[in-house]
Amino acid sequence: MSSAIQLRNISQSFSLNKSTVTLFNQLNLTINQGQSYAITGPSGAGKSSLLMLMSGLEQPSSGEGVYIKHQLESSGTDSIADEQQCSLESLRADIGFIFQQFHLLPELTALNNVALPLKLRGDKAAMKKAKVMLNKVGLQDRYHHTPIELSGGEQQRVAIARALVFEPKFIFADEPTGNLDEQSAAQIADILFNCCQESNAALIMVTHSLQLANKAENVYSLSKGHLHQEKTAYSAAEKITESLTASTVEAIC
Amino acid sequence: MLTEKIQLAWQFYRQEYHLPQQRLLRWTQSLLVIFMLALSQSSFSVQQYLSENLQGLLGADALISQYQPLTEKQAQALSAKVDAVSATQQIKINISHQDIWQYISLKAVDNNYPLQGQLLTTSSLNDKAAASVSGPKPGEIWFDSRLFASFDINIGDVLTIAKHEFVLKKIISHEPDRLMEGHNVDMRAMINSVDMAKLDFSENLIRFRYLLSLDSAQLSALTTWQQQQLPGAELIHKQGNHPLATFWQRTENFLGLASIILFFMAAIAIEQLSIKHQSKEQYFSALCMSLGASKGTGVIVSVLKWAFSFLLLLPVSIALAAACHWLIIHYLAESFPNLVWQWHFGLSLKTLLFVSLLFALFYLPVWYSLLNTSVGKLFVHAKSNNSGYLQKLVSVMVLMLVVLVYSDNALLTMMLVTAMAVTILLILLLSWLALTVGEKSTKNLSGLLPFVFFMMKQRLISKSTQILGIGLSAFLLLFTLMLMRDLGNTMSSYQRSHDGNLMVSKATTEQLNYLKRWAKENDISIRQTKSYLHAKLVEVNQQSLTQYSDKPSDSLATLSREIRMHWNNKVPSNNRIVSGSWWQSTTDDWQQISVEQEVLTDMGLSLGDELTFAIGGKRYDFTIVASHEFTPGNGSITFWMQIPTTAVAHIQASQYAMASLEVSKVQQPLLGQLWHKYPTLRMVSLQQMTAYFDTILAMITKVISGFSALIILLAGIVILASINAVEANEQKKNSIIMSFGFNKETCLKLNIIEWFITAMIAACGAIVGTYLAGLLIYQSEFSLPYHPDFTWLSITLFIILTSVMSLGIWASKKSLNSSIRQLMAE
Repeated sequence: MSSAIQLRNISQSFSLNKSTVTLFNQLNLTINQGQSYAITGPSGAGKSSLLMLMSGLEQPSSGEGVYIKHQLESSGTDSIADEQQCSLESLRADIGFIFQQFHLLPELTALNNVALPLKLRGDKAAMKKAKVMLNKVGLQDRYHHTPIELSGGEQQRVAIARALVFEPKFIFADEPTGNLDEQSAAQIADILFNCCQESNAALIMVTHSLQLANKAENVYSLSKGHLHQEKTAYSAAEKITESLTASTVEAIC
Repeated sequence: MLTEKIQLAWQFYRQEYHLPQQRLLRWTQSLLVIFMLALSQSSFSVQQYLSENLQGLLGADALISQYQPLTEKQAQALSAKVDAVSATQQIKINISHQDIWQYISLKAVDNNYPLQGQLLTTSSLNDKAAASVSGPKPGEIWFDSRLFASFDINIGDVLTIAKHEFVLKKIISHEPDRLMEGHNVDMRAMINSVDMAKLDFSENLIRFRYLLSLDSAQLSALTTWQQQQLPGAELIHKQGNHPLATFWQRTENFLGLASIILFFMAAIAIEQLSIKHQSKEQYFSALCMSLGASKGTGVIVSVLKWAFSFLLLLPVSIALAAACHWLIIHYLAESFPNLVWQWHFGLSLKTLLFVSLLFALFYLPVWYSLLNTSVGKLFVHAKSNNSGYLQKLVSVMVLMLVVLVYSDNALLTMMLVTAMAVTILLILLLSWLALTVGEKSTKNLSGLLPFVFFMMKQRLISKSTQILGIGLSAFLLLFTLMLMRDLGNTMSSYQRSHDGNLMVSKATTEQLNYLKRWAKENDISIRQTKSYLHAKLVEVNQQSLTQYSDKPSDSLATLSREIRMHWNNKVPSNNRIVSGSWWQSTTDDWQQISVEQEVLTDMGLSLGDELTFAIGGKRYDFTIVASHEFTPGNGSITFWMQIPTTAVAHIQASQYAMASLEVSKVQQPLLGQLWHKYPTLRMVSLQQMTAYFDTILAMITKVISGFSALIILLAGIVILASINAVEANEQKKNSIIMSFGFNKETCLKLNIIEWFITAMIAACGAIVGTYLAGLLIYQSEFSLPYHPDFTWLSITLFIILTSVMSLGIWASKKSLNSSIRQLMAE
């Protein structure tokens, strides 16, 4: 049994210069642990806001987000699955983030950057686990290098290792390959998906990259306040392009 | 082209005006400008005043002063050696008029007075002063304005002193030889020498002062003659030290030291701020270059922007400096009569140029970094490696410049710099040690503490700089407060342990006998009496005092005049022996002496040293066999120098006594009987003594409090600057921590623990540095014995560090206003 995040009839809007801007209305979405999700859409559609809502870091204007937590409880020789429904605030300990700008701490080596979340949790085996994680992402020779001594791709690998080292159930990635060249992006994408799969973590990505989005099991497009599930990222992109062209023609005419 | 650059610089300046790092920089620069301007103006005013005094207002080229009149032979010899002589006499007495009493300094002058300079008098308090060609005629008395105002009296009224009548004729505005007497705030009156003889005061109570006109060629012969014929006399001359010069020299030493300390703190603050300044300036410069501007443009714009920032803070700073200068002159006017406030424009320009040079030097690394900037920096965020070292080098250069210009006392400066250097090394070592040991020892623990040690250790260099800034500020503040407290305690101890509320400081044998009878008749308790004679130290181990020591010292200053020497066969009940041993009561070896322990230490004397005193015009040698110190509880009358009772038979000199009495409020009017009988009986109430010391203590407290306030302000700026320098990084760090699943409360707890560790390391460094500075500096430069009170030090340090922690946590709260969304938005 896997945990899940459910957004039920979520609406999000904000006030700007005395006018109300609605990002999305009555949105419903379920994120299951262990699966991968890609959210695409034009700039300003509210993808990052949706990410913040899903992770419980912001509150929606209306609707509710629910964290369905599945845990195995041992009772003698039997194990019983226990399901709890909690608010998204209790999701905190079970989520990790990956950013477009990597956001590694410049004074720390790769090893110490990865060990950081474990150190915060008081894990005595932090360094050991960090090494294992760095090996997984192929940086076994770069333990003691600082971010400035690493390439963009290598830095993002460190960031991936850091996000996964404390075994979160959900990984939120905001344009994880946005700062990388094509080759590095492809490598990172493979590493990201493999690691999430191995850890049985859900991967929720916000991305403009069609190649990256296509790797996900579930592709959504967010446009004009509506979230649609698409078969592929390309079909999502086509719809977005059509919609934009129509709006532009309307505006010009 | 320059116009465009000026406009761009102005625009840049306006945009950045409200940024925290600009505000902190303005505060730092303003404080230093105010301090340096006020200090230089006040110093110049006093120096100018002293040199003008030496030129014309001392009333003579030289002065010989002693407690005996010259013999006829001596007077003739003196007249032969100089161009002119004016003999004056001075005595302290009590006078009364219509039931009002005042203790005054009564001066008698001969017909040659004034010898040089102007004697200014008026006929009323509001009239303009006019020069008098001579002093009072026989039968006349002149009052100074304070004395005149204190009585209900008019010009032409008659007063009685020791049964002789005097007519009040004039009010004295200015005496040309007033300052020759040194620091003196007594009320004053003047009569003719002929009348002084008629008053028939005991000669031993009168100070005879001979004002002399001579040239520099005659001075050398005069000096030799005085040392041989009048060893107990004091000689002051224009080529030597002004009486107030020593007092002002020590004040200037302290203030010179203060400049170094303040600039050091400013250096720390500006170094912290330059981290942000540099990156902003480099970014702007690179951006301009990417738009076609030359490298030089970026540098010129930065220089112009800095110039705007400095110039625009000047009007307010100069106004505040002028106000501070006025306050300082106002306080000093009591010690330097007729000292007036005046703004010296040339000097202020020089000071401002010097200070602006120092600030420009501080900013040099930023401008240097602009020469190395390029458009490439916009693509790759390469960190500059050299700026930290260059900034530190520049700070050292600035400090050396300040030391060269403002410090007169190389030894004191060296000691303070040594103490600061040791504190710096200690704090750096402590930082590394504490963080390394802390990280290793908490590795296997859970909780936030191990994480904090881990993070601090990883960012050792930036944390060490912050800890250093705070530690040094705490050290400087703690040392200043400790010095103020100990100075105050030293002053207080002179008069707090008192028994009786009235002190007779000088009574002849006849006066003492009368006093005892009077006290018995009126049921007044005499708590204590002790006899003494006047002695002046002339040599130490066959060396004159000037040969023996040239360092400023309170003891030396006191011993250059006559002091009271007591005799006793047993150790007095309010003394205890510190070293050596007391003499036997029947000893034939009468040439033994016991010296007060603080004087021994201050003068660098030891057991076995030989002291030569001039007593009653003759020389006597004594060997130091013991040292003693005052112990409270058995009376407050104690003496620096004590000899065996058997010595008195060998010394021909007048003997006097000190006594302490307890006089109730009801019995106070009876004192009038004493003064009618003996106007020269020197008595002072505990209230008067307390008031005198309280005034001095209040002045010292004000000066050091003002200085402490400056240090506290600069310390606050150092803390804010160090936080500001790393604010962006801290915000990012907090956002990243929150991305690991933690909340703002966790970030706050981490912040608090980090500041606690920072404060503790800074505390250890500060307390050791303070102890070391006290050891080095107290005795040698301020003549204070060093007995550190660790309880007081610890409590004060605790208060300082709690304040530091609170300020640090409060100032860091902005870094808690972070969110994961900000990481996404970048």
